[in-house]
Amino acid sequence: MRQARGLSVVLRDVQASQRSIALIAEMIHTASLVHDDVIDDARSRRGKHTVNKIWGEKKAVLAGDLILSAASIALARIGNTTVISILTQVIEDLVRGEFLQLGSKENENERFAHYLEKTFKKTASLIANSCKAVSVLGCPDPVVHEIAYQYGKNVGIAFQLIDDVLDFTSCSDQMGKPTSADLKLGLATGPVLFACQQFPEMNAMIMRRFSLPGDVDRARQYVLQSDGVQQTTYLAQRYCHEAVREISKLRPSPERDALIQLSEIVLTRDK
Amino acid sequence: MSLRQRLFRLPRYLGASGSPRRLWWSPSLDTISLVGSWRGQSSRSPAHWNQVVSEAEKIVGYPTSFMSLRCLLSDELSNIAMQVRKLVGTQHPLLTTARGLVYDSRHNLQLRGLVVLLISKAAGPSSMKASCQNYDMVSGIYSCQRSLAEITELIHTALLVHRGIVNLNELQSSDGPLKDMQFGNKIAILSGDFLLANACNGLALLQNTKVVELLASALMDLVQGVYHENSTSAKENYITDDIGISTWKEQTFLSHGALLAKSCQAAMELAKHGAEVQDMAFQYGKHMAMSHKINSDLQPFIKEKTSDSTTFHLNSAPVVLHQEFLGRDLWIKQIGELRETIKAGKGVTSAIDLCRYHGNKALEALESFPPSEARSALENIVFAVTRFS
Repeated sequence: MRQARGLSVVLRDVQASQRSIALIAEMIHTASLVHDDVIDDARSRRGKHTVNKIWGEKKAVLAGDLILSAASIALARIGNTTVISILTQVIEDLVRGEFLQLGSKENENERFAHYLEKTFKKTASLIANSCKAVSVLGCPDPVVHEIAYQYGKNVGIAFQLIDDVLDFTSCSDQMGKPTSADLKLGLATGPVLFACQQFPEMNAMIMRRFSLPGDVDRARQYVLQSDGVQQTTYLAQRYCHEAVREISKLRPSPERDALIQLSEIVLTRDK
Repeated sequence: MSLRQRLFRLPRYLGASGSPRRLWWSPSLDTISLVGSWRGQSSRSPAHWNQVVSEAEKIVGYPTSFMSLRCLLSDELSNIAMQVRKLVGTQHPLLTTARGLVYDSRHNLQLRGLVVLLISKAAGPSSMKASCQNYDMVSGIYSCQRSLAEITELIHTALLVHRGIVNLNELQSSDGPLKDMQFGNKIAILSGDFLLANACNGLALLQNTKVVELLASALMDLVQGVYHENSTSAKENYITDDIGISTWKEQTFLSHGALLAKSCQAAMELAKHGAEVQDMAFQYGKHMAMSHKINSDLQPFIKEKTSDSTTFHLNSAPVVLHQEFLGRDLWIKQIGELRETIKAGKGVTSAIDLCRYHGNKALEALESFPPSEARSALENIVFAVTRFS
C-alpha cells in the first residue's frame, strides 16, 4: 500500500524530478518507520523482523538518520527551493506527531481533535505534501497544487483511520503485526474514542493509557460491542469522498481514474 | 552624550541578533585601553583556551553557548525536559549527554557554530556583494550565516544525543531496569529527531539548494563516522581495531571533520564567494577539527596529574600511531601497561606532530582571507589547540 502511494504522485509525462519526489517520500517514510519501531520496541513489521531486533537499537537509529540524510541530499539535488520547503515541513510534522502521541488530553472533546491532528502529522502530511510537491514541479497553477494537497491529505487521513480499525477487526496473521497493538502502546484511536461515547467507563482506562492488567482486553471488548468501528469506517469514507471530489476537479485521464480507484482501495483493504 | 554613555550602548551596536542578551562586557573607562590594544594582543599566541574563545565570542557579537538549544524555546522544551527529568537516577547515557550540554564544559562550547560565524566574518563580503544586498548584515555577518551556524550545532547535538542510544540486548543487571533504558532510548530518539527536523527546516529557509546538499551530505558523513565509532565495543578494551593511522584519519574526518568543513564551505556559498574561497574555508574547517580531535585524544597522556580513573579511547590518535610503530601482536601483549608505555613511546610526540601538521594546514588556508580580528581569532583557535605545554 505504501508503495502504491508512490504511484499516486505520478502525473502525465512524469519528470525525473517528480520520480525523485516519490523516492524521497518513501525514504522519509522508511526512516520514520525504523525510528518508530525502536520507540515502540516492536519485534516485527509486516511479517518481518524489525531492524532494531536484528541489529540492535543503536544501529537502527543510525540507519534511520542515514536514510533521512540520503533523502535530503536527493531533495537538494532537484534544485527547487519551494519543494525543499514543502518536504522539510513533513519531517517536522512527523516528529511533532510522535510528541503528540506521547501526551494526552484530559477533555473528551479535545481528544478527538488531538487524535485527528496527530493522524495528520504522522500519516497524512507526508502524502499531502509529496502530492503538492510533484504538482509544483509539474505545473505553475496554485489551484492545482491545492487540489493535489487536499487529495493527499484526505486519502492519508482515511488510510490511517482504516489502519486503526483493522487493529481491532483483523487477526494477526493477516496484518503481519499483532493486533490491539495500539491499545498495548497506550494509544486511544478512532474506534476507542467513539466507543467511549457509549461506554464512559472507558475514560479512566484511556487516561491511564491501558496500563493496568486486563485493560487492553476490556477496552477491546468495549470497542467490539460498540459502534466504534462502524463510526470510524464511516468517517474514513467521508474523507475518501472528499479526496475524490477534489481530484475530480482535474481533467479526466487514466491517472485521475487510478487516483480515484486508489482512494477506494484505501477503504476496502483488509491488511 | 558622554563617552561613558556611548560605551554602555556599544554591545548592542556590535550586533546581537534576536532577543536581548546579557551584557558580557561591562563598559568602563578601563576598557578603552583593552579595545585599543586588541590588535597587538592577537599577534602573540594566547595562553588559554577559554581566553581565545571569549575573545572570539566578542568578535561575533554574542556568546555562542547553548546555540543549538535555542530552538527548544517552545512547547517541546517543557515536554523534553520533563521526560529527561524522569531519567534522573537511571543509567541511561542521555542523562550524561544532557548534563554535558547544560553545565560548563568543553561540550556546551558550541565550537562549530563559533567557527562558522568567525569564518563568515573573516571572509567578509564577496565580490558578488550586489546579489547579497537583501541580506541583513550585523557585526559583519549575514543573518543567513548566523542561521547556518545554529543549524550546524543542531546537527552536531542531534547526533550527540543519538549516540547515547543503548542496545537493549547488551544490558547487564548493573545497568538498572530495562524499562528505564527503553524510556531513555525513546526520549533520545525523539529529541534527536526533533533537533534534526529543526535543522532541516532551517536549511529550507536559507533557500539555497547547494547549501542544503552540503549540510545533508555532512549529516551522512557524520552518521557513517558514528557508525564506525560504534563498531568497536568500548567494553572489550583488549580487542582494538586493527587499523592504521590513515584509516583512522578517514573515519575521524567523517565523525569530526566533515560537519565543520562543509559548514564553513556553506557559509562562503551563502555570501556568494567563489570556489577557491569555499575550498579554503573547507580546508580550515577540516584541519582545525582534526587537530582539535587529536588534541582531545592527547589529553589523558600529557596531563600532569593522571589519576587511574582517567579513561582514554583505544581508537584515539596516539594509540593508533603507537600500534603502527609497534605491530599488532606486541600491542595486544602490552595492553596491561597501556598508559605509561604509550607516554614513553613515540605515539604521543607523533600525535603532537600530527596535530600541529593539521594546525599548520588550517593556518595556510587562512592566508587567503584578508587580515581581520575574525581571522586572528581563527588563528588563535589553532594556536590554542596546538599548544602542549
